[in-house]
Amino acid sequence: MKFSLTRQAITLAVLALLPAAGEAIYFQDKISWRSPIPPSESVNVDQARAWGENAIWVDARADEEFARDHVPGALSLNEDRWNELLPQFLAAWSPGKKVVIYCSAESCDLAREAAERLRKEAQISDVFVLEGGWEAWLKKR
Amino acid sequence: MNSTPNVERPTSNVQVSGSGATSNVKYRTANVLWRIIDLIVGAMFIFAGIAKILNLDQLIADLHHLRFASAFADLGNLSVADPAEFAHDINNFRILPWIASVTLAFYLPWLEIFCGLGLVFRVLYRGALAILSALIVVFTLATIAAKVRGLDITCGCFGHASQHWSLLAHLATNLTILAALVLLWVSSRSTKTS
Repeated sequence: MKFSLTRQAITLAVLALLPAAGEAIYFQDKISWRSPIPPSESVNVDQARAWGENAIWVDARADEEFARDHVPGALSLNEDRWNELLPQFLAAWSPGKKVVIYCSAESCDLAREAAERLRKEAQISDVFVLEGGWEAWLKKR
Repeated sequence: MNSTPNVERPTSNVQVSGSGATSNVKYRTANVLWRIIDLIVGAMFIFAGIAKILNLDQLIADLHHLRFASAFADLGNLSVADPAEFAHDINNFRILPWIASVTLAFYLPWLEIFCGLGLVFRVLYRGALAILSALIVVFTLATIAAKVRGLDITCGCFGHASQHWSLLAHLATNLTILAALVLLWVSSRSTKTS
């Protein structure tokens, strides 16, 4: 009986593997297996700096962290006050300008979420998440 | 030689017919009840799997507001969901590395669908029950662990339709499903032993 149960479970697990593998192959170009942020949507500190005036820096961290310190010229745009801060950002942004969003570190998810919202809600395509976030900026300051 | 038991059988049937018929009705009623639970739990997991593979947000919103005509139209406009969204939901629990989150984002929905079908059609039934019970226990523990660690997680359990559920709603749903699965386990064991 025990063997039968195990065998049934393994059969189901293997059956589910087949369409999952097919889906993974189908989506291979749309999702990165290495990082939550696809390479085409991220930028490192040096590249972002090189964009100079052609880039707007956006700080997705909470207000207190932004008030403590931030990238010079960066605008605050966080989840807590999104509706309040978005008009300020849109006033500063112009078509053709690249948007560089950062949060505290590589592991934080705020920048990715803010980037996603800007792409969906504001229809801005040139939005990039800063690799390593604020920590990476501090190291290269 | 063979005719004797045949002659005797109607007598014994008459003797047991009263209690036998009653127990037969009870057995059938119980069986129907278990089948209904099978179907409900199976359908929930099939739906949970499909909700992660297809974009059902609009359909769910229309059904929620009883806009059946729009819901019917939505069925024709279903699109494939972005697996990255579910991968991010898993990654937000901060338990697994990103590569494992992506793997699960592709794999879990299909596992739920196949196990749900197992319950509905009673194929590989006990294997399906075992996997689904294990999944629900893991989901529940992960949800509690995330809350204890202060993580603001969005649940991908039923696709993005469930992303604004509270912790209590998560736990209540999970525990109800777990209770139903345990009942099905007990029923399948008693059926096997009787």
